Amino acid sequence: MENIRPVSFITFLLTILSISGYGQKVTISGYVKDSDTKESLIGATVFEAKLMKGSTANEYGFYSLTLPDNDTLNVVFSYTGYKPEMRQFVSKVDIRLDIVLKSSNLLNEVEVTAARNDDNVNKAQVGVIAVQMREIKNLPVLMGERDILKIIQLLPGVQQAQEGSTGFLVRGGNTDQNLVQLDEATVYNPNHLFGLVSTFNINSINGVQLIKGGFPAQYGGRLSSILDITSKDGNKEKYQVEGGIGILSSNLTVQGPLIKNKASFIISARRSYLDLAEKVFLPASTTLYSFYDINAKLNFELGKNDKIYLSAFKGRDNGSFTGANSLNYAIGFGNSTATLRWNHLFGSKLFANTSLILNDYDLGLSTTQGNYYSLLYTGIKDISAKVDFTWLPGSRHTVKFGATYFYHTLFPASFSSKIPLNGNRVQIDRNLVPKKYSDEMAIYLNDEWNLNETFGINYGVRIPYFVSYQKTYTFIEPRITAKLNINKTTSIKASYTVMNQFLHAVPYSTASLPMDVWISSSSLVKPQNSQQYSLGLFKNLQENLFELSVEGYYKEMTNQVLFKQGTQLTLDSNIEDQLTFGNGTSYGVELFAKKNTGRLTGWASYTLSKTTQTFADLNFGNPFPFTYDRRHNLAIVGIYDINSRWSVSANFIFRSGNAYTLPPGLIPVAQDGSLYDGHYYDYTTRNNARLDPYHRLDVSFSYKRERKIFGRKYQSELVFSAYNIYSRQNPYFVYLTVDPITNTPHAIQVSLLPIVPSISYNFKF
Amino acid sequence: MKLNFILFLIFCMCSCEKEVFIAQLPYSSKVSIQGIIEPDSIPIVYINRTVPYLTGSTKSTDVVVRNATVRITATGETDLLKLDSMYDKVDCRYNYYYKGAIKTRRNTMYTLEITDGSKVYSATASTNLAPVAIDSVTYIANFNDLYGEHEGILTYFKDIPNEINYYRYEMLRSIDSTVRRGEKTLYGSCLNKDTVKYRELGRAVYNDLNLDGQQIKIVIEPAFSHNKGVVGLILIQSIDKATYEFYDQLDRQKLGQYNPFIEPFFLKPGQFGNDALGFFGSRIHSVPFRFTYPE
Repeated sequence: MENIRPVSFITFLLTILSISGYGQKVTISGYVKDSDTKESLIGATVFEAKLMKGSTANEYGFYSLTLPDNDTLNVVFSYTGYKPEMRQFVSKVDIRLDIVLKSSNLLNEVEVTAARNDDNVNKAQVGVIAVQMREIKNLPVLMGERDILKIIQLLPGVQQAQEGSTGFLVRGGNTDQNLVQLDEATVYNPNHLFGLVSTFNINSINGVQLIKGGFPAQYGGRLSSILDITSKDGNKEKYQVEGGIGILSSNLTVQGPLIKNKASFIISARRSYLDLAEKVFLPASTTLYSFYDINAKLNFELGKNDKIYLSAFKGRDNGSFTGANSLNYAIGFGNSTATLRWNHLFGSKLFANTSLILNDYDLGLSTTQGNYYSLLYTGIKDISAKVDFTWLPGSRHTVKFGATYFYHTLFPASFSSKIPLNGNRVQIDRNLVPKKYSDEMAIYLNDEWNLNETFGINYGVRIPYFVSYQKTYTFIEPRITAKLNINKTTSIKASYTVMNQFLHAVPYSTASLPMDVWISSSSLVKPQNSQQYSLGLFKNLQENLFELSVEGYYKEMTNQVLFKQGTQLTLDSNIEDQLTFGNGTSYGVELFAKKNTGRLTGWASYTLSKTTQTFADLNFGNPFPFTYDRRHNLAIVGIYDINSRWSVSANFIFRSGNAYTLPPGLIPVAQDGSLYDGHYYDYTTRNNARLDPYHRLDVSFSYKRERKIFGRKYQSELVFSAYNIYSRQNPYFVYLTVDPITNTPHAIQVSLLPIVPSISYNFKF
Repeated sequence: MKLNFILFLIFCMCSCEKEVFIAQLPYSSKVSIQGIIEPDSIPIVYINRTVPYLTGSTKSTDVVVRNATVRITATGETDLLKLDSMYDKVDCRYNYYYKGAIKTRRNTMYTLEITDGSKVYSATASTNLAPVAIDSVTYIANFNDLYGEHEGILTYFKDIPNEINYYRYEMLRSIDSTVRRGEKTLYGSCLNKDTVKYRELGRAVYNDLNLDGQQIKIVIEPAFSHNKGVVGLILIQSIDKATYEFYDQLDRQKLGQYNPFIEPFFLKPGQFGNDALGFFGSRIHSVPFRFTYPE
């Protein structure tokens, strides 16, 4: 694989494009924006009704549609939740047209029918889900915090890693196999407060897209998913203030024009106040928790063809958790990112984006369980640059090509021991942790080609190149997705993708704690690789009011990384020497049904899946279930607008329990028994037991009203919410203990979150 | 604010524990064999049956394999071992083992053969090990290693050069019911007012990797409490590879059981294949070194 030459594939691809000749054409291009804020409408649809040809706006709101120069063109611009706009053209020359759409607050389904996007059926993409901001803003909240990642975990094929965690698992992959990007900058740990809420403040977000299969070639570096989050540009028309006061934290977002319709800014900040309250109510020595995050973005239109974006994000958590007697931990971590982007239009068909990105992540964790403690420090600094081109030669092709470069610096360290009698624990000095450097590059070429109304393909190739201390890896990653329409509302899609991953988070310990050590590929640690096949049937009903799909996938993963059994890391340990490598296989079926508009909206998703791993050094070389192998995963989500002021939303989750390892046999020890508490264990199979199934129901009521203060109108929202409303004690992990008197073993289950009611208040000026 | 804070404390910090029922996983019992021979000593082999983790009885009377035929053979001789027992006053139980009648010779290859019903288990061991001489023994009240901070008896000895060697610590001392093992005294034991000679063994075993022919230091956490002036006899066992590998696995597994941050450690099949766990090995002791606790 490493030696395959990509030249023939690229030549083939370009040949296909070159033979797609065209007659007399006219190109309509521009940006689609919100009428009130001039915010880009990502994924807005541009459609010529008679010719049945269309395009969608990219992540910057740019669209380009090339059509035959018919006498009259009727182009409809639409976006979910907005009133569609129709324009008529008679032109022989290319047209630049920026369109603004008005938000529709009407509940009448007919009013917005035309706005419904049918990309899920008619686009040659599979495993791609764009999450609507309306859905994010209406689902139940946890302690007053609305959360993107909590929504992601309700989608088919996606599972929450652990209770109280925003870490998610996609199609049998570990949490590190998901690339989470905010404005193209990698966010390695998108969590706050032990993972109860994500770092993403929804008031600053414009778009969210999850890709879990059928990856276009512009994405790479992770095996299982890409979560692409785009922040808002800021209101270019007027100043706007919005915020929320919750039980846990408060947030405030300010945005407005710097130069009207030319430049704008948005600053969004959130801070928890538990630590402030602690100072009042708890002894001075007690530390509980604090977190904050700040998003800021500036954008300038330098002309019709150039835009500059400067965005930055910083989030940090510090705290400690005293839970059940068996589990205490203290944590400090933070992400910082900065992105400078330049959009440039070369004419009406070629869009370019160039980005310079910095990100800095570090995590220090001290965990105590029983008489033992563990320390972990892991940090990553990246400097990266990207250039991405989108070429729209005609209505049938969307060609993307570009290059990326990363300079990674990783510094991992870990330690575990019994707690010293005098309480003096070892400390990790982050300045002394050895650093590991590596370079990661990639070039890609991708074409989305709609051959006709019935058949379309999305195909491309990505060529990553990785260097770490004289060791290099080069791969060819072919990507192809094919779509065949059975009729206008039904299609079958299939995809095949190859992915490679050069950074790995190795889970340290089975204690169900967020103890992953990030390491990079090296001569010993080979890149993770996956090949994924998926096949799906997609159906829309009642003019896209309902979306239905069934999708199957099969994924093979190689060079998976775990620690060797019995590994106890010390500060002198070379982590790479303690690793063992194996393969994984995951397959499953995902069912999805969604109602897009109306008073009642929502979806149901069900995934039936199986994931196994095989490591020569573990489980006697036999396959064993992945820790997060969960056979059944069900999520039901509903949002109901009772009237113009009140709405209720709920979500129900059911999933099979995690796998963990129990010793089925006990070996009594006569000789020298005191050394081994009279016995040792006969383990026969890794992950041979299951925690009880996990299920919970969350409910939220929202009351929205327009109010006045100092003669000025503002929108207010009061949210009453309950997480885990029937207070089920869901298993977090199980540990074993032996009664010292009867010498009989017992299993103790630790649960994390009972019912968590909350009240929050949001406002928008 | 106050309400918010109290609500958070109540709902966020009340993660809870409860005992849960776990069904016994399907398990086929195996034979556990621990046999170790030493020159000029009568061979002893412990043979027990493993039991289901949650439901099995671990009483020594229930787990001993009573009707096995146990032979140890060398060139020209066969020793048929018989089931025997000895009462352990510290742990209040009988320990059962198969005991031979012929003392083991030096530099001889022995074969252990156990017939249990239709199954036969066999392994070989050689008594060709050489003893080491202890150079010195010291004491430290606070020592830090993988096992955490503990008091330690530091034993220094010189490795035998030009061969791969394995070692284990041993201390002979007298104990009575006033001493503590861990945090518990032995008052509840069956010692009454008796004083018994006890053989403390180190759980960790060592090899001479990268230390061939050099001085080796072993630091052991004593199992029992002591007073100033208590005397013990320190010995270093030279052990063979089979013995080392078995006890090394047990040590790693115990670390994983105690320390929740360590993955479970699976015992690999050894000399007896998949149907039986354990080992048949040999050892030889150093000359005892008299050690007096300084504090």
